[in-house]
Amino acid sequence: MAVQGIWSGTISFSLVAIPVRLVKAIEPGRISFRLLHSKEYSPLARRMFCPEEETMVPSDEIIRGYEIVPDKYILMTDEELESVSPERSRTIEIVEFIDMKEVDPIYYDHPYYLVPSKGGEKAYRLLVEVMRRTNKAGLAKFVLAEREYLVAVTSRDGALALTTLHYSEEILPDEDLLPKKGKIAAEEQSRIKKSIEHMIEDFDPGKYANERRKKLMDLLAMKAKEKAPVEGPVVEEDEGEGPADLVAALEESMRKVKPR
Amino acid sequence: MAGATIWKGYIHFGDTDVPVKLHTAVKEERIQFHLLHRRDQVRLRQQMVCAYEKQPVPAEQQSKGFEVEDGKYVIVDPAELEQTAPESSRMIEIHEFVKTGQIDSIFLDRLYYLEPDIQDIQGKGYNALVKALKELDVVGICTWIMRKRFYFGALQARGKMLRLNTLRYADEVISVGSLELQDVPLSEKELKIGSELIEKMAAPFEPQKFENEHQKKLQEMIEKKARGEKITVLVPRRLKPTESDQLLQALEASLKKAA
Repeated sequence: MAVQGIWSGTISFSLVAIPVRLVKAIEPGRISFRLLHSKEYSPLARRMFCPEEETMVPSDEIIRGYEIVPDKYILMTDEELESVSPERSRTIEIVEFIDMKEVDPIYYDHPYYLVPSKGGEKAYRLLVEVMRRTNKAGLAKFVLAEREYLVAVTSRDGALALTTLHYSEEILPDEDLLPKKGKIAAEEQSRIKKSIEHMIEDFDPGKYANERRKKLMDLLAMKAKEKAPVEGPVVEEDEGEGPADLVAALEESMRKVKPR
Repeated sequence: MAGATIWKGYIHFGDTDVPVKLHTAVKEERIQFHLLHRRDQVRLRQQMVCAYEKQPVPAEQQSKGFEVEDGKYVIVDPAELEQTAPESSRMIEIHEFVKTGQIDSIFLDRLYYLEPDIQDIQGKGYNALVKALKELDVVGICTWIMRKRFYFGALQARGKMLRLNTLRYADEVISVGSLELQDVPLSEKELKIGSELIEKMAAPFEPQKFENEHQKKLQEMIEKKARGEKITVLVPRRLKPTESDQLLQALEASLKKAA
């Protein structure tokens, strides 16, 4: 199975360069509903719409704009955007190796995996294995679409995982939330501690399921039994709803314009 | 200043209740672009279009359907969906405590600061809980309902404070097995030199060293364009991949360079 890549480029450390693709590590477990036309149950597709001309706009007629004053935009092409930090657009350069234990979890943003592209398999395997042995993670910066990410590349079960990190300037201070100093009664302290000790277990995330999802599945099973499912008309091609947000739309449009 | 209070509740386990307020811990600021129609620079908006009629469909003519098989749907109305929403509650219920290192970081999602709520006037329960979590080196695995959604999380002590880290559900994490990676044999020499290189490049984690330079450069480019200056388009650099049979040489040369 070829995993769909979000980005392709090179990961490097010192003089070693490995061609890789960035892929998802998280698949949100939402039950996905399709939006349908109430009239004949045809699926709906998400499209960009020009309110002035009242028409759908294909991706090659779309451009990014930065609103400098209300309704006045500075246009920015994909090429110009890639020019901002060209050295980082296609390369994840590991500048140093760190101990992940030193990273406060507050910095963690979103995890992905890196998979080797053709020819990169051996060097990829080497980086996985030496980071496992040394218990280190690579720290790098790279640019995807409009953003520059600080990332930690770690060795996870034989693969390279890439976690985007927040910048320190994005972390809000917490001094104003600090608890007042109060003398803790020894009795209270030992009661809490005992109560915790009784509840220590091994972490097993599989035990916890999203209860909303369970309820929804029950509802759907019940409804399917009560009434036969409706059938929509045959549509020439299933185009899907398309990306749910603008960033995804931009990334998709970039890929469409410039197949690599 | 920390972010505003977003929710109030109380941590509960055994006979212990600790009232807390949740605050956001991270604030992201980024340059926002809009999507425009190239020829007239009209700002575009998203529109749902009927795939069959190729016409825009207003919200009141849209239904939600769950696809049971190809092209067949169970239609669900909003009132039915509402019924599956959880009952609101203020309790952050701790089900168990686990050793700090046991949670794979891939599960960690968003983090919130917890402030002792006014009801816990001396912060007694709060401070005692911080102390106990630290001494036992554990985090509390908990669930709660906030804004009509179920949450799963880890209660942690850091410094003098409690934090709540929301966790991803196990079935949302894609396993490494599904990536179908090849196993490639490596020589002990390659591994040894590779490990030495990593040790040579080791550094303490100092996040303040890293600034979002790109954001500043992007801002500068926008200003330049606003002044009507011409932008030189630069092509992104693509590194030449290290060939498998050149890997050892590349590692050795890297090690020499780092020394």
